[in-house]
Amino acid sequence: MGAPRITLCALALLAALIAIPERAAAEIVVIVSAKNPVSALRADQVADIFLGQSARLPDGAEVVALDQSVGAPLRDEFYQKVSSRTPPLMKAYWAKMIFTGRGQPPRELPSSAAVRRLVADNPALIGYIDRSALDASVKPVLVLH
Amino acid sequence: MLLQQQVLPPMAPRSRFAIATALGLAACCAIAPCHAEESIAPAVPFYKLSGFATAALSWSDSGDADYTSSVLKGSGAGATARLSANVDSRLGLQLDLNLAAQWSAVLQVISEQRLDKNYRPTVEWANVKYQATPELALRAGRIALPMFLAADYRKIGYAYPWVRTPVEVYGAIAVTSSDGVDATYRWRAGEVKNLTQVFYGRNNVDLPTAGRIEARKVAGFAHTAEMGPASARLSVLSTELTVDIIPTFFAGLRQFGAPGMALANRYESKQKHASAVSLGLNYDPGAWFVMAESGRMRTNSFLGDSTSLYAGGGLRHGALTPFATYARVRADSPTTSPGLPLANLPPAAAAAGAALNGYLGWLLTTAPEQHTVSAGLRWDFAPSMALTGQFDRVSPDGVSRGTFINVQPGFKSGRSINITSVALNVVF
Repeated sequence: MGAPRITLCALALLAALIAIPERAAAEIVVIVSAKNPVSALRADQVADIFLGQSARLPDGAEVVALDQSVGAPLRDEFYQKVSSRTPPLMKAYWAKMIFTGRGQPPRELPSSAAVRRLVADNPALIGYIDRSALDASVKPVLVLH
Repeated sequence: MLLQQQVLPPMAPRSRFAIATALGLAACCAIAPCHAEESIAPAVPFYKLSGFATAALSWSDSGDADYTSSVLKGSGAGATARLSANVDSRLGLQLDLNLAAQWSAVLQVISEQRLDKNYRPTVEWANVKYQATPELALRAGRIALPMFLAADYRKIGYAYPWVRTPVEVYGAIAVTSSDGVDATYRWRAGEVKNLTQVFYGRNNVDLPTAGRIEARKVAGFAHTAEMGPASARLSVLSTELTVDIIPTFFAGLRQFGAPGMALANRYESKQKHASAVSLGLNYDPGAWFVMAESGRMRTNSFLGDSTSLYAGGGLRHGALTPFATYARVRADSPTTSPGLPLANLPPAAAAAGAALNGYLGWLLTTAPEQHTVSAGLRWDFAPSMALTGQFDRVSPDGVSRGTFINVQPGFKSGRSINITSVALNVVF
């Protein structure tokens, strides 16, 4: 009677244990719509767009960034990789921008799937997602290991 | 149901309920995207309310003068009370409005101690912005002046590592905003990212105690260049400044003929050209940072001319940021004056002249001479919150009162005063 339940619990625990290190080493892909002509971006170009310092892709087309939600491990890892900033430093950066009227942070979405869906339909958007959420509707322009 | 009974092990009713709920949630998640896909363009909210707050306490080991962070405050830590919350505490609220595609507006109100010692809120920013292109923004209304490296965000304690921006450089700024227009342009030159801001406007501060500060023809620019972790900012400001706080003194001087007129014209701050120039450098690769800045102020009046500088750095170790700073200000204008010639005057006039000379001598020590060694630790203990502790050894030099206010008879230049501060910074 009890044994199968224990097995289930053990499996769930094992899955959780595997999922955590996988999360920490997640591959992040920066994506644009498959319809967007841009094929590759450098990390500093991506950082400029997400930090509100540039609103254009290298080909001159205007672009709007979509962010993951505050506190998401993917988000913290993304900014650490493209701009060497920890979450408090990112917060301080945006405090400076917001309270001097220079800009507002990108709109946040709850998941990689939500980011992918919006980016897929609109060539004027750019986002970053977990590699596992990648499909043919979007084009990876930078992979962050 | 029968199939399920065979495949899944028998379960308690509660577990079955949990699975049904999970399946239901999964179904919801699978359906939800169909709705999400309908909205393609990201909606921009019409308004956004945000804010920042600093709750701080400073303690001085001397009761001879008040330590303050700005000349626009009425009291500080020391003479008024050894322990004071007035040095750095403040609350700011900001309302951002997205009016139309390229139009937005901002209103920022700050409550902090003022010259009359109350906390009545003042409007720091109130402007309408037109984003002409992604690179060019035009604003009209009240704009905080981008003087020095950090003047436009020095009230947001969360944005920098210290408890306060160095008082030798930032404490003397009496004109903090301008009512007018500005333009900000972003441009690239190879690997260098540039941000050029030009502004023009005016400012009127009615001092609650007595008199007024009027800055006309406030014009200038700030240019920031960034390359990788290195950034530099050059700022230049020029204005026609009137600081009308002691009119009777200058009227008195003018009664002493040509020498009195000459002294009054030399030292009165009445539509005098004033300027401030600064160059700041910052290197911040993330794990550590260093910064240095030097500024020069010219006032052509009793307010004096000065050169200030600071240099400092820090380490970022997880949530902890230890830092250290050295700051200094020197008067470039003479801090003494021979005053009125009294030799050939009748005794009564000579006595009045001597009193005026005494006051002039005191006035000229307004130009601060001071150096400070600071060390502290910032702790980012929770998201959007930081606690900073800082120790400052403040030394007014020469005959100057330094940046101290409410100076008592026992005050001695050249004697160091120790200030210990704790500040809780929040942004929301």
